[in-house]
Amino acid sequence: MIIQIPVISLVFFLLMALIVPLFKRRNFAVTTTLGLIVLLIVWVLTVVLVRDVYLNGPFTYAFGNHESFIGLELLVNLFSAGFALFMLSLIIIIYVYSTSDATEGIAEKEYGRYYILLFILLFAMFGILYTNDLFNTYVFMEILSITTVSIISIKRKKENYTASFRYVMLNEVGSLSYLFGVALLFMVTGHTNIDLVAASIQSSFDDYTANIVTALGFMLTGIGIKAAIFPFHIWLPDAHSTAPTSSSAILSGLVVKLYILIMIKMLFRLFGFDIVSAMNIHIVLMMIGAFGMIMGSVFAIGQTDVKRMLGYSSIAQVGYIVLGISLGTVLGLQAAFFHVLSHGLMKAALFLSVGAVIYHKGVRKVKDFNGMASEMPVVMTVFGLAALGMIGIPLTSGFISKLNLGLASLDANQGYLIIIIIVSGLLNALYYLPILIAAFLKSNKPGDLGLKVEPIPRLMMVPIVVLGLLIVYFGLFPNMILSWFEEIAVVLL
Amino acid sequence: MSFLQTIIDHINYIGAVAIFVIGLHTVVTHSNLIKRIMGINIMGMAIFMFFVAIGSVTGGKPPIIDGDGGPYINPLPSVLILTGIVVVVSITVYSLSLVIRIYETYGTIDQNELLKRMQEEDES
Repeated sequence: MIIQIPVISLVFFLLMALIVPLFKRRNFAVTTTLGLIVLLIVWVLTVVLVRDVYLNGPFTYAFGNHESFIGLELLVNLFSAGFALFMLSLIIIIYVYSTSDATEGIAEKEYGRYYILLFILLFAMFGILYTNDLFNTYVFMEILSITTVSIISIKRKKENYTASFRYVMLNEVGSLSYLFGVALLFMVTGHTNIDLVAASIQSSFDDYTANIVTALGFMLTGIGIKAAIFPFHIWLPDAHSTAPTSSSAILSGLVVKLYILIMIKMLFRLFGFDIVSAMNIHIVLMMIGAFGMIMGSVFAIGQTDVKRMLGYSSIAQVGYIVLGISLGTVLGLQAAFFHVLSHGLMKAALFLSVGAVIYHKGVRKVKDFNGMASEMPVVMTVFGLAALGMIGIPLTSGFISKLNLGLASLDANQGYLIIIIIVSGLLNALYYLPILIAAFLKSNKPGDLGLKVEPIPRLMMVPIVVLGLLIVYFGLFPNMILSWFEEIAVVLL
Repeated sequence: MSFLQTIIDHINYIGAVAIFVIGLHTVVTHSNLIKRIMGINIMGMAIFMFFVAIGSVTGGKPPIIDGDGGPYINPLPSVLILTGIVVVVSITVYSLSLVIRIYETYGTIDQNELLKRMQEEDES
């Protein structure tokens, strides 16, 4: 039974996406409740799966029981199941929020379509995490990018069309260069299964160096475009800032991270870090990451639209993760994984709280945030927590990930990277603090200090508060999750 | 002569890469949105040709076993490419529909013109 869980979760998501149109005539609450039930069932199943993998070790599931060199294979280990659990948990939180705020900019009869796309997106995310096949990864990547772009363009606004067109063009170039890499590897190895390809790369690297290195370059470029790593980031701010709020949180917090996870899988399982470091790819990644950390923040400083600013901030945060990966040590990977988690939480909290402000006040410019804290105290407190986490103030999860990244770079004898981490943190402060100062210290109406909870729906408030609590929780008690990430990293290296 | 011989021996791979680069050039440099979609298609087709070329065996027959024996071509790349074609078709359809929407709202499908009109709207 447990061995079937990955497939069952995939089928659940697809079925849910198919069922949504059937409830078109009913009250919309029926659809959202059903969706929540499906998500919770899959969440429980994934918890069971993670527990089983933790106790009994990884296993593979072959479709149709074909052998791995013919058939498709799913690999379930702590890496895939653990991150599936994390992504699903975060999506449940965002989903609860979206049930009352999917409305922003979407016509009422299209709510259903939004949820269809959301469930297909989940299907593709789980597929990418579990699959153990290069070509299958490509197919899931395409499903993911086409659903993502549909979610961006579901709002019938002018700028959404151009943003999604740019997104689809660049992402397509990315996926096609990934596919070209797969073709080159297939030429050398004759397999698409990751384990088999990895084994034959190790044995035939000396004979087919040119092919394998070209494939590595194509695949890295492709995934780099899709993950918005610094020089390929131009599509991200428009796409993420024009999407509906709840899906901005999913896109920025999870989808970009998913491509980073594919990159980790590729660098460490497919090619092996020995080949990567023999080609000095890790130095290139380190420079790209460091540049991204600085440049993303620099771009963000001048932005007047808060959601656009958050988009640029994502580019900088992806830089941190790439930097952690490029160190190639257990500590570095551990820090990168922790930052995937903490940035997911913080970015979701930021986008959702900005979304609540947009919902309640209809404003999204930085200058309109004056005195916002007296009108929306809870939402702005969570926004403040997440922003402080982005800067790296202690007691938040952002501090822990920066601390670990700093320790990892010292451990790898790259101490100068700490300077870059600190400079990037200061740049973050330059664009987050003005909002906090405006919201908490400037007031439009002097004397109005009565504490009142803002009148937004409960279902929007609860997820925001939960995210705020989680940020503080992981800032105070990171040890358990860090030891998990250490186990995952040790297996990968 | 050995250099020329190498080129002739690998003409299928070199051709595929050349077409790939042509497609990429179209996507990156052209300002007409429909031409850019065509560029994506050209890139895709180059990869599909490359895949099929990998699977071919000199003197090979289609892999339908009829008792004659002899070398067969590798069927797996061709099957993978069927999936790839479907994916590229759906992406093309989607981006063409986006171009229709862009044309309806802005009245142009030229990237530079589009940027100009968007800036004008921002200012007004």
